[in-house]
Parts: sequence; C-alpha cells; structure tokens
Amino acid sequence: MGRITAWSGVMLALFGLPTVAAETVTDYDVMLTPAMQAPKASTATLTEITKAGSRQVAVGDFGVVIYRDEDAPNWQQAAVDTSVLLTAVSFANAEQGWAVGHHGVVMTTTDGGQSWQRQMDGFDFIELQIEHYKQVAEQLAEEVDNLPDNSSFSERDDLEFQLEEALFRAESAELAREEGPTKPFLDVLAIDSQTIFVAGAYGTLLRSTDGGQSWEMLDQRIENPDGLHINALTYGQGSVYAVGEGGQIFRSDDQGDSWIMLDSPYYGSFFEVFVDQSERVWVAGLRGNIFVAEHADAEFEPLAINDRVNINQIIDGPDGSVILVGNAGLMAQIFANGEMSQQRHNSGASLTDIITNADGSYTLVGQRGVLEVQADLSQASQ
Amino acid sequence: MSKQIHTTEVVLEKALFKFRPFWFVIFALLTAFLAWHASQVRPEASFTKMIPTNHPFIQNYFKHADDLSTLGNVVRIAVETTDGDIFTPEYQKLLQEVTDEVFFIPGVDRSGLKSIWTPNVRWSEVTEEGFVGGPVIPDTWDASAASLDQLRTNILRSGEVGNLVANNFRSALIYVPLNEVNPDTGEALDYQEFSENLENLIRDKYESDTIKIHITGFAKIIGDLIEGAEQVGLFFLLAIIITLLMLYIYSRCWRSALAVLSCSFIAVVWQLGIIKLIGSGINPYSMLVPFLVFAIGVSHGVQIINAIANNRVDGHDKFDSSKLAFRGLYIAGLTALVSDAIGFTTLMVIDIAVIQELAIAASIGVAVVVLTNLGLLPLIMSYIGVSPKGTEYTAKVRGERHPVLNFFTHFSRPKYAYTALVVALIGLGWGLYYGQQMKIGDLDAGAPELRPDSRYNLDNQFIVDNYSSSTDIFVVMAETEPSQCIAYDNLEVMDRFSWHMQNTPGVQDVKSVVYVAKMGGYGLNEGNLKWFSLNRNQYVLNANTSRTPPGLINPDCSMAPIIIYLNDHKAETLKTVVAAVDNFNQSYQQEGLELLMAAGNSGIEAATNSVIEDAQYEMLLWVYGVVIVLCLITFRSIRTVICIVLPLMLTTIMSQGLMAVLGIGVKVATLPVIALGVGIGVDYGIYIYTKIKEGLEQGMHLDDCYKYALDSTGKAVGFTGLTLAIGVATWIFSPIKFQADMGILLTFMFLWNMLGALILIPALARLFARFGKQIH
Repeated sequence: MGRITAWSGVMLALFGLPTVAAETVTDYDVMLTPAMQAPKASTATLTEITKAGSRQVAVGDFGVVIYRDEDAPNWQQAAVDTSVLLTAVSFANAEQGWAVGHHGVVMTTTDGGQSWQRQMDGFDFIELQIEHYKQVAEQLAEEVDNLPDNSSFSERDDLEFQLEEALFRAESAELAREEGPTKPFLDVLAIDSQTIFVAGAYGTLLRSTDGGQSWEMLDQRIENPDGLHINALTYGQGSVYAVGEGGQIFRSDDQGDSWIMLDSPYYGSFFEVFVDQSERVWVAGLRGNIFVAEHADAEFEPLAINDRVNINQIIDGPDGSVILVGNAGLMAQIFANGEMSQQRHNSGASLTDIITNADGSYTLVGQRGVLEVQADLSQASQ
Repeated sequence: MSKQIHTTEVVLEKALFKFRPFWFVIFALLTAFLAWHASQVRPEASFTKMIPTNHPFIQNYFKHADDLSTLGNVVRIAVETTDGDIFTPEYQKLLQEVTDEVFFIPGVDRSGLKSIWTPNVRWSEVTEEGFVGGPVIPDTWDASAASLDQLRTNILRSGEVGNLVANNFRSALIYVPLNEVNPDTGEALDYQEFSENLENLIRDKYESDTIKIHITGFAKIIGDLIEGAEQVGLFFLLAIIITLLMLYIYSRCWRSALAVLSCSFIAVVWQLGIIKLIGSGINPYSMLVPFLVFAIGVSHGVQIINAIANNRVDGHDKFDSSKLAFRGLYIAGLTALVSDAIGFTTLMVIDIAVIQELAIAASIGVAVVVLTNLGLLPLIMSYIGVSPKGTEYTAKVRGERHPVLNFFTHFSRPKYAYTALVVALIGLGWGLYYGQQMKIGDLDAGAPELRPDSRYNLDNQFIVDNYSSSTDIFVVMAETEPSQCIAYDNLEVMDRFSWHMQNTPGVQDVKSVVYVAKMGGYGLNEGNLKWFSLNRNQYVLNANTSRTPPGLINPDCSMAPIIIYLNDHKAETLKTVVAAVDNFNQSYQQEGLELLMAAGNSGIEAATNSVIEDAQYEMLLWVYGVVIVLCLITFRSIRTVICIVLPLMLTTIMSQGLMAVLGIGVKVATLPVIALGVGIGVDYGIYIYTKIKEGLEQGMHLDDCYKYALDSTGKAVGFTGLTLAIGVATWIFSPIKFQADMGILLTFMFLWNMLGALILIPALARLFARFGKQIH
C-alpha cells in the first residue's frame, strides 16, 4: 500500500504544507490494504459465520467481516486491515476472536469483531516456515551425526531423506520470498484466549499458545508426508480434530502436542469435522459423503444422502438433530433417529456455513452472501 | 426598409417576373431530377452515426471494438408459462420446439445458441476423480416424472438459475447470439427481416393462453424502430391533409391552398433529393426534417398568399398582386430563412453524426424554401391568382376583425402589455425553476427509443424482473501489455475495482476474467468455496483461467473487458458509475494497467450524455448569436432585436421547464429541437415586427401599427402557428418515444413562439414607447 505516499503526507503535514486528501496507491497489495467499506458487504461471498457472545460474525471475500447483534436485523461492516478472502473465523469468548484467510493472513479482534488487526501476514508465515525447516534440518543433521555406527542402513537412509526434505522445504520457502505468499489458511480454531490452531493448504498446521503473539508449525507432528490440505478443525470432549484431503482424520488429545491418525472410511476430501451435542463425531466432504462415529473411539459409519454435492458445514439442530449445508444450495437435517430431510435453496448458491438465530430460524452464508431460512429450513421471502 | 424599393430587390423582382416561363421550366426540370433522387432515399440506422465518435470513451471503444464484438449482439427469448412451472412435459416439449425453430432463423450464430435444450448447456460437479458433468437435459430424457426431477437437479447444479432459467422457475430463456455478417454470403444482417421472423415464427406461432413469449435485444429494437419509422409516412400524409384543410379555411381558395401546399411539398422533395445527392441519408432522428421544411414552407407560403389576397382586394390584378407581395415580403422572408438556415447549421458544433446530418438536411431544406416559396409560389400565383371567392372572403374578413384577432390588438395598450409582460416573467420564472431539474440523457428504463409501455419494453421488464442479468451494460476495458491481462498484479487490481464498482449505487453485478479466475480456483479445488480467490502463483492463475469464455480476454491478452451490469441507464446512474471509475483510477494506479471507459450500451450512452451536456449551452449561444447578428444587420436596431429575441428566449427557457416536468431528457433526439424551435420562432417575430415598423415609419400610433401588423402578417402568423402545431402534434402518437418527445416539444414551441410574437412583441414595443423610445 501507499507507504511512501502516506509518509510524504506526514512530511507535508509537518512542514505545514497543504496535505492532499486523495492518496494514490501505486503498489497495491491485497494482503496489506484495509478492506473497503462496502454498502453491499453482506452480498459478498462469505465463508463462515460464528457467534461472539450474542453477536453474529461472518467473514468472506475482499476482507469483509460483518456483524450484527442478535436482535438487530442489519449487518455492520467491521474495520479490517486486509482485503484477502477470509476463509474462517473463531472466537475464544465474546470479545477475542481470530480470522484467517488467503496469502497467509491471520487477523485478530479484541472488541467482539468490530475491528480487526493483522497478526500475521504471508511474508511472516514464509519466515516462520524458513526458520522452522532450518531448525528441523539442524536437528536432523545432528541426529544423523549422532547416529551410532552400528545403526541400520535404513534408519540412516530414512533420516537423511527427512533431512533432505526439510532442506528442500526451507529452500522453497526462501524462494517464496520472491513470489510472495501463495498458501491459504483454510480454518481457525480458538480453544481459549491463548490457544489457537490454524489449518491450511499443503498440510499447514499452526498453533499459538500466547494468543497469537507467536506461532509454531505442527506440520511435522501429523502423519501427512504428501502435504495434503488440512481443510477443517474442531474441538470437542477435550480433543482437537483436523480433517482434510485424501480422507485424512487426525485427533489430538493433548492440545496439539501429539496427533493420532484415525481410520478413515473414505479416500476423498473432507471439508468438515464436528462433535455434536450427543458427543457423536461427524466428518463430511466431497459428493455428499458423510460419516458419523457414535463416540470418539467408535468406527465411522456412512450415511446416505441423495444429493451428491459437497457438504461444507454441520451444526447442532433442535432435539438432537444436526443441520448441514453444502454446495448447490444443499440444506439438510439429520434427526436423532437417523432420518433425514433434505432441501435445496432456490438460489442454487453454494452454502458454506449456518448458525441458529435466537428465534430458532437460521442464518446461512455462502456464494451469495447472507441468506435467511426459517426454522424448518423453508425459505424466508427475501 | 424604406419606401423606395431596394435596388437588389428590383433586380431580383425583374429577373423573376420578366422571365416567368423560363423559371417554370427550370423549376420543373430541377423538381423532376431531384424527385428521382429523393425516391431513392431509404431510412437507415447506422450505429456509429448516433454516437460521439471523437469522445475519448468512444475512441477507446473503437480501439477494441473487434475484441468486444462477441459481447454485443444478442437476442433473448423468454418462454413463460402462466400455468404452473417449467417442469412439465408439455412445457419442455414446447421449449425444445422453440429452440429448434430459432436455430434455423437466418442470422443466428448457431454455435452460440443456448437454452436448456442445447447440448452446450451443461452441469458439472467435482468428484474424487475430478470433474464430471453432462448436458442439463438428461441423456435418458423421456418426459417422465423421474426425468423431470433429474432435470430440476441438473438445472440447479448447472448454475443457470437466473441465466437460462428464471429465478421463479416459471420461464426459461433462449440466448441467441447473432452474426452481424452472414459467414456464408458475407451479407449484413437484415434487422427488419430478422425481427419479423421472430414475430412470425416464434411469437405468433407459439404464444397461447398459457404460454407467453418475451423477446429483447438490440436487433429487436432496431426492427421495431424501422417498423415504427414506417408509420412516419402516415403522419406526414396526415399533416398534409390537415394543413390543406386549414389553408382552405383560412383563404377560402383551393387554388392558393394547393399552391402553397405544392410549393412546400416541392421544397421537401428538393431537400430529400439534395441530401441523397451529397451522400447524406435520412435516419430516425432526421425524419423530423421533412416535416420541418414542409412547415416552414407553409409558414412563408401563407404570408405570400395572404399578401396577394390583400393586394387583390386593393384592386391589383393577379400579376401585380404577386409582384407586390414578393416585394413586400422579400426582405422579411429572406432574413427569416437565412437566419433559420444559419441557425440550423450551428447544430454542427455537436459532435454526433446524426445531429450534424440533421443540421445539414434542415439548412438545405430551408435554403430550398427560399426558392420554392419566395420564388416559385409568387410565380405560380401570378398565373392562377387568388380565386374570386378567396378575394371576396379576404375583403369580408378584413373589415370585421376576427374576435380572436381583436383580442390580440389589446396587447399594444399599457394595461394589457404590462399584464402580458408580468405573465411572461412568471412563465420565465417557472421555466428557470423547472429547467434546472432538466436531465441529460434517457430517463426511462428499457429501450429509451420506444415507449415505456411498448411491447418491447414490457418484455424487457419481464426479463429484468425474472432473470439476474441486466440489459444495461457498462464496459470498462482493462488494458495491459501483451500477454499481461491475467498477470497476478493486474488481476488483483481488477478484482478490487470490481468490488468497488459492485458497491456503487445502480450497479447490479460485475463480471470479468477475474471472476473466471476466482471461479477457476473454486472449481479446481474440489468445489471448495474457500478457494474462491486469486493466487500469486502465475501457473495456478493460468490454470484457473484456462476455461475463460471467448470475449473476456482478447487474443494477445492485452485487454480484458470488465462488464458492469446496471439497474438502468438513467443519466444519474451513468454519472455515478463514471465518477466511481474515475475515483478508482485516481486512488489506484498500477504501472502497465489502465482501466479505460467505456463500451457497452451504457458506456456509449454515458459518452453521448457528456457530449450533449457540454453542447447544449454552446449550441444555444451559437443559435442566438446568429439570429441576433442577422436581425441586427437587417434592422439595425438593438431594441428591435430585443423585441424579436426576448420572446424566443422565453420559449426556449419554458420548453426546458416543460422537458423537466414531462420527464423528457436532453438527448440526441431532443437537443436539436430547441435550436429548431428558435429558428422557426424567429420567422414569426420578423414578419410581425416588419409591419409594426412599417406603420411606425408612416407615423402611425403604436396601437394602430400593431393592428395593421395583425391584419396583414399577424393573422398569417397566428394561422401558421396553429396549423404547424397541429401538424407536428401528430408525432405525439409515434410508437417511437423520441419522435413523440420531439412532437410534444415542437408543438409547444410552435404555439408558444406564435403567442410570444403576437403578444410580447407589441408589449415590449409598448414598454419601450413608455420610455420615449421607438423600437426602430
């Protein structure tokens, strides 16, 4: 953004010259430019909606964050210090929340979503990667050096391969300094005001234990050698879940220090993982594939869904049911007895997230911004 | 003008009246020659002539016109069912038939034709293995409930709701791109024929109690316009008949009535012949000109026969009567016509070809009237003379002044004069107040050329209401270095620009290659909306844009149109959009990327509006400048000029107020009318003023002078004002909206100029007299 022009503005002001109101941006960067205040913010492509206390907060394209208090019908746009597509939002409490997005951006708010500051951008993330992989490489090099002479060939070979891999990754991260950040973050999970997880493309998994001041990379702590995308995170019964490409499902019972890979019922991508009010664990993704485990250690069982479209989000519904939304306007309710009712939103728009309003009706977000539906998922007149 | 006859006048008069047969032969030959050429004039509607070709927007557009051609010429046919929704076997069968029928209409670009029944409309879906998809109509289609269900699902996942299928599922659209030039024969598309085909083969054939057909598109507008223009001939005939009747009622002499009519008609023939000869044409805008020439011809002709009849009553023979009439009106007529002609040429300052053509045509027409109605008419009358019945009638009415005429005589008296002036001032105030609210450009939705309640505009409204795509398109051209149109940095600025425009009032939607790139990210990442974004990696971007439809980037990737869909094309909306683009260009400047305005129907209209806005006052300055200078040269008195010009200005200002009140915008069609109104109005003033001055020079009292003027030219002025107003009023019924607007304005101006001349000239003369000044 116009750092130079801003600076010259300051100089002009200092020397008492008339300041020029209109700043011209000559080096536009979507990552660093504050979001435009947009009258039609609620029609932007929105990716997630959540609650901060009684307030609803949704995020999406062009750095749009909109919020409304439960009893207020109108959305207000937050001041956000980036213009990237925000992909996820999560609140630790009514005031503190985090949002992540493309170009490696992490945003944070301390006023319940009204204003957002950049805590990390893609260049910071690149430095974090370089540092991380160099450290990993150093550690591996040391391990290789310290290998007892009688160690097996395969053990040495394995370590050397890992070392090479780490060096390669450090090198590509250094190259990325030139190209700029290309890896988007895809989900964020704030467990409390200190512990935050961020998941992203190419196996990215980050954790902060100091409210986002510093971040550590957990990529090596999950069994994801091909660097498949981690698409979604959730927290339930003291465990953190992460799901993603290639049907992978991970769980950590120690706040992210160690992860186990669960047996997957599916080889396609998962876009959602959810622990419901009855402690059942749901995973869902491509082409209407949806599986449920009765409890954390149970096997995942498939459910049949008529519409073979992506499922993007699952939430708790009334009476032990769950509500899910997906592409092409898919809205469905799965009752406690396993029966399912399915609807299509007339717009046919991809739906990415849903929350329950105070009166039991729902607010949906997706490709066409905010949409409202009644408690029985029928469509409110718009 | 003195009592002695001017020398040039003598020469002309002699030349004319001495060799009458010679002149007849010349006129006859010229008329035959020009009539032959006139018969070859065809109405034409050339797009480039209707736009300001030197405006920077248009220059930018021309630069990229070839690359933008695929966006433009499309017809949309909506097939609506009023009985349930589109998911019935009967409806789908019908839609299939209509689609097939359209396919075979000449001019249709068959490869681009789209409806849910064409194989190029597909749904697609991401699976574990990649993309899968198929035609929206299931391969197993058998019109059963199951296949209708499948169809519904396919439509939803095809993303065509709002595009090819109405948001309420009660109609479906056939999208029909056209070939401007037939690729087989190289012939240009015949819009009229195409439009008729749509009516006969589609609308008439398939419409029923439960099926409604709605058709929109540029080709349909042109077709409807040409069809509407054909009715203009009917109006012309009507105007001729009305004029003839009025002429007869006025003169009670068929001979003179027919003589005036013929001479005026000959003027029209000459004018048409000459414009054909100089390679100019007639377009829907300049169709007004023949009316005008006819009107001006009648206006001057009436003065001539009026004078001749009076001379006859005075006892002169028919030869001398004509000669004296010529002598008495020659200067006034010539001054009036010359100021008309020059006044019209000032329209040339407006850089829009149709207006310039109109200016040339009108100037030629007026010049021709000098010959036909000041020259030929007295000659004809010198042979045929006013009939005894006509002379008798003139003698009769001269003694007893018509009550209406009598009413006007009061206006040279102080009480009436000052009242009239106060009323005029109130009118002026009204005009000034409302005139400020006068708007530039089109004020109605839909096709502004046609009436708001025309079939076309109702169809357009239907499509706007039921589908997501607007027909008002403003295109910004993103110009880059070759092969840089999808470079990351450029796309990112274009994306912000799109969002900026999306949030501008009046904008419905913005589409460009940026949207394709973002959709590509979404589609190529398993349909995960969290990837609906641009990526800094150029290889990723290239992959994401690999499915860009033609027209969204040019072949060497140096230009990408950003298509902005608007709610309407009102001048206000366009101004807001232009300002928003300017604003963005000031705030964001990226080396190697220029966001240039403007193409699309709304972009071009924005340019036209800006040219017209600049030209409207310039044009008035020129017109009035010319009229004032010419009157000064003729009458050599500032006060005279004031007497003649002030009533005209009042008319101009009040007609601006009228335009605001009636919701008529200043646009290509209406801008010239104001200048034309001044041109016509000045005639009245000059004729009346000439006689008042003549009286004053003879030492008559102002009241008597005015009575004298009323009895001679004033009567004729009143008559012509009325006749012409009725003649152009027929235009108000034109199916073409802008012609109706022209009709309303001209009717108002003819009447008001007439009243202004009859009332305000004596009133102003009275005002001057009060301060001890004569008006000459």
